[in-house]
This record gives sequence, C-alpha cells and structure tokens, in this order.
Amino acid sequence: MNYPSLKSFVLRSKLCLLLLLGCSLQLQAEGLKTDKVQWHGFISQGLIQAPETNFVNLDDSISAELTDLGVNMSWALSDNLRLAGQVVYLDGGRRYVKGTRLDYLFLDWTLHSDFDWQLDMFVGRFKNQHWLYSATRDVPFTRNAIVLPQSVYFDSFRDIAVGSDGLAFKVTRNTAMGEIELNWSWGSTNLGKEQSQILLSTLAQGDAEQEYVHQASVFWRPEQSAWQLGLSLLDSDFSYEKADLDYYDDGAMTVQRVMLNGRYAAEYWELSSEWVQERLDISDFYAPGFKRNSFSQGWYVQGRYNLLPRTWALLSLDMFDLDKDDRSGRKFSASTGGLVPAYFGYQDELTFGLTYDFKDNLRLTMEHHWVKGTARLAYPVMPDLQHNKSEYWQMWAMQLMYWF
Amino acid sequence: MKDVKTKLVIAGSVLWACSALATEVVTHPAVPMDQLTVTQLRGIYSMRQQNWPDGTAVRVFVLPAKNQLHQAFAKEKLQMFPYQLDRIWQKITYSGLGAAPVVLSSEQQMREMVATTEGAIGYIENSDELSKLKVIRVTQ
Repeated sequence: MNYPSLKSFVLRSKLCLLLLLGCSLQLQAEGLKTDKVQWHGFISQGLIQAPETNFVNLDDSISAELTDLGVNMSWALSDNLRLAGQVVYLDGGRRYVKGTRLDYLFLDWTLHSDFDWQLDMFVGRFKNQHWLYSATRDVPFTRNAIVLPQSVYFDSFRDIAVGSDGLAFKVTRNTAMGEIELNWSWGSTNLGKEQSQILLSTLAQGDAEQEYVHQASVFWRPEQSAWQLGLSLLDSDFSYEKADLDYYDDGAMTVQRVMLNGRYAAEYWELSSEWVQERLDISDFYAPGFKRNSFSQGWYVQGRYNLLPRTWALLSLDMFDLDKDDRSGRKFSASTGGLVPAYFGYQDELTFGLTYDFKDNLRLTMEHHWVKGTARLAYPVMPDLQHNKSEYWQMWAMQLMYWF
Repeated sequence: MKDVKTKLVIAGSVLWACSALATEVVTHPAVPMDQLTVTQLRGIYSMRQQNWPDGTAVRVFVLPAKNQLHQAFAKEKLQMFPYQLDRIWQKITYSGLGAAPVVLSSEQQMREMVATTEGAIGYIENSDELSKLKVIRVTQ
C-alpha cells in the first residue's frame, strides 16, 4: 500500500489549517448572514487500486493517493464586482500533478443583470465552464463518480482542461423557449515540467507550451422540461521546444473538440451524457517532417437512482476510440509494426457505484470499474507498454468527503 | 371492513397533507414586487438575479436540503428537485461563479431574517401570521 510522503503530509497539514481557519471564519460569520465575504471548503480522502496499469501507481498496490482538499472565498467588492479564489491540494497518484495549486482567482464583473438576462465578465484564472463537470471536476461531492468518464475527462489532460488564465464571458437569457446560457473563454495554461511529462512521458526534456485555448458553449434548459441540452467547441494550440538532449523534436499540436451533452432530471433518478469528437493534429515532434491528423471519439451515459433517502446508485457506460476510423485499433497496431497492441486504440468502461450521505455534508462513495482497453491511460502520445499489459483490467475506489 | 377502509382513507389523506406542505414565497416588506414568474424565481434561487428592480441587493435564504418545507418549496414553487438546487449552488460555490444562499436552521429563523434583512426573499408554510413579511404570488 502506498502511503503519502512526509512532504505531502506537511502540505496537507498546512491546507487543513487553512481549512480550519475558513471554518472558524464561517462560524464567526454565522451571526452576520449577509456578510459580503463567504468561505467554503472541502476535505476528502480515499483509497484506490488499479492493478496492471499505470493509472494510479506502478506497483499495483492499494493506494491512498486519492486526496482532494480545497478552500475558497467569494468577496463582493461592490454590487457588480466580486473577487473569487480557491486553493486546492490534489493527490491522484500518477493521474495528474500532485500538490497545492491556485485553482482559480478572478474578478467577476456583472455588466448587466435584470430579470430577463445577465451578462458577466471574468478576468484572471477561471474554471472551464463549458462541460458538464469541468468546473468542479476536483470537487468530489459534485461529481457522480470518483473517477470521471475518461473519454471526456481524461486525467492526463486534467491540468490543461480544468481552467485557464485569461478572459471569459457568460450570458444567461430567459426566452419563450426556456433559459439559454452562453459561455465564451480565451486563455492559456502554463505547463510545468511535471505536467509536460504526464502528457508526453518522462522522455520529454524540453518545454511544452499551450499557446491558447479558445472555447465556447451553449446550454439550453427548455421551459417546463426536465431536460438540459448543451453544445461546446474547443480550439487549442501547443508548441514543443526540444532540449539539447531529447527523445522528441521541436513540434506543434492542435487539439479541437466538438462536444454535445444532455441531462434529464426526475425526482428519484437522473441521466447525464456527453459525446466528444477530438481532432489531434501533430506536426514534426516525433521527427522533422512528421505529420498526423486523427479524430478520436467518445461518449458516456451515466444513470443515477435514489435507492433510499440517503443512498444513490450509479451505473455508467463510457466508450472511447482513439481513431474513429479504426475502432478496433488494428490499423494503429499495424502502423507500429505490431509493437503496440490493438487495445491501446480503445477504452470501454462499465462502472457501478454507491453513494451514502451520513449528513448533508458528509458522504461516502464507492465504485468498481470494469475496463477493456488502455487508450485513456498515460501517456497520450507514447503508449506505456511496460505497465499497461492487459486488455482487460479493473479498478475500485472509495472516498469519504466532507464540505462546508 | 368498511371501518378499516375509512381509516385507511383518512390515514392516506393525512399522509398526503403532510407530504404536500403548502408554501408561500415571502420577502422583506420593502421589496418592490408583488409577484414573480417561476422563471424569475428560479433566476433568484439559481443566484443569478442579484438585484431587485430598485437596485437593492437580493438576499436569498433557504432551509436545509432535507427539510420538508424546503423540499416542498423546490418542487411546488421552483418546479425543481432539491438535488438540482444543491448541484447549482455547489457548482457556483466551488467554481467561484457566485455565492451560495444563506442556510437557516428553522422556519422561525426564516421569518425573522426575511422580515429584518433588506432585499431578503425566503419561504414559509402557509400561515395567517404574516406580520412584517410580504407574500409574493408566483405565476407561470
């Protein structure tokens, strides 16, 4: 079993202190219900095991590297100007970079607000508001599963998909057809060395940079309906500058996404689904003159059912194909001379989970995943043949979470 | 046998009455509105509508998620399920998009806070005792 390192314990302790400070401020503010400053936070710890893969660790053991901590503040500076910020500590093992980070810090300027429509502008580091779970993917009690469907929420892309430094707008308008929400954002994420290596493998010694990410989305909640439907688009460019001694060459990548989503809410059950097509265009990088343009596709459907007053059951099906024109992965495998097995070309996953609320803000979630294929395991540009040895693999996780 | 049936009908009626609490939306008396549409009320409880037409800040009060009155209010007045409201509030709270409503511990506290907080909106069980509160009619 992997126990967290001493250093991470120190970091966690610091953040716990910060959380406690937040709690105490919250308690002090109890008497001042209309305070302009709000503090909230969350603490969660879990266990996870994904043998025969490099998903969490490399020794197949049960891991405690499933920690999400956070504390946030919202400060109303005036009637139409607000400052919001959140610091998180995340430990997902090898899934993404471990450590404390500034999750968001932005100014929210309400440019217009009446009963028909609202317009807000955000400047700073903001969350990705374009997908169903992107804005709160690190906040455990806001997601249906501990491990989100990897077709859409690929953990290796987490740090570049979770938010951006830049400018964003949100418009919400009430019409005769229902409520329409439009989001637009432009920005980029600074990629550190560790993050680059999660994307490109430890062979990468150079500097990866996200030039920009441009996103837009629309959500429609029809009047008198239990449906919410959405569409989102993403366009992003990356560059890679090789080090003096490097496996890779200078190169450029373009990632473009088209996504559809839907959610249906009934009193005792709920369905949510997202579909994604992603274009990945690589120039040079593997070698001077190299060129590849491919389209991957994925989708998931998650159903939740309220079994008992405090208990929800989850059933989820998640499908992903690295190349929509090669769903079996055979052409991909053949292109490597058979070196990379075909199962690196897809990843299909069935998940069953249970959630129990001890209190309104104390929850235990448990889940089991049955998986076929390894296309959504690190590394996106360099299959890890040494550690992802099985076409069929399983994973389980449990997580206790508290929030205030 | 007839007695048993009668008792069952009465028991059923009592249960129905308990489960379907009638709620009233109430505001601070100075709030410059007498009625709201369901869409407008949803805008307020989704924490998007920040000001009343006279510019006063909207102050939103709620009861805990498991409170029967809260559940009745969500379904009857907002035409939403309580878990949908929780999701909206959690999303804006933990992604920085806004501030969550203030959660009060009892209907009595709701009455006091709405009556004494400028721009406040909340809900109570149907009652004749409405002193210092303004009842808002909710229309489609």
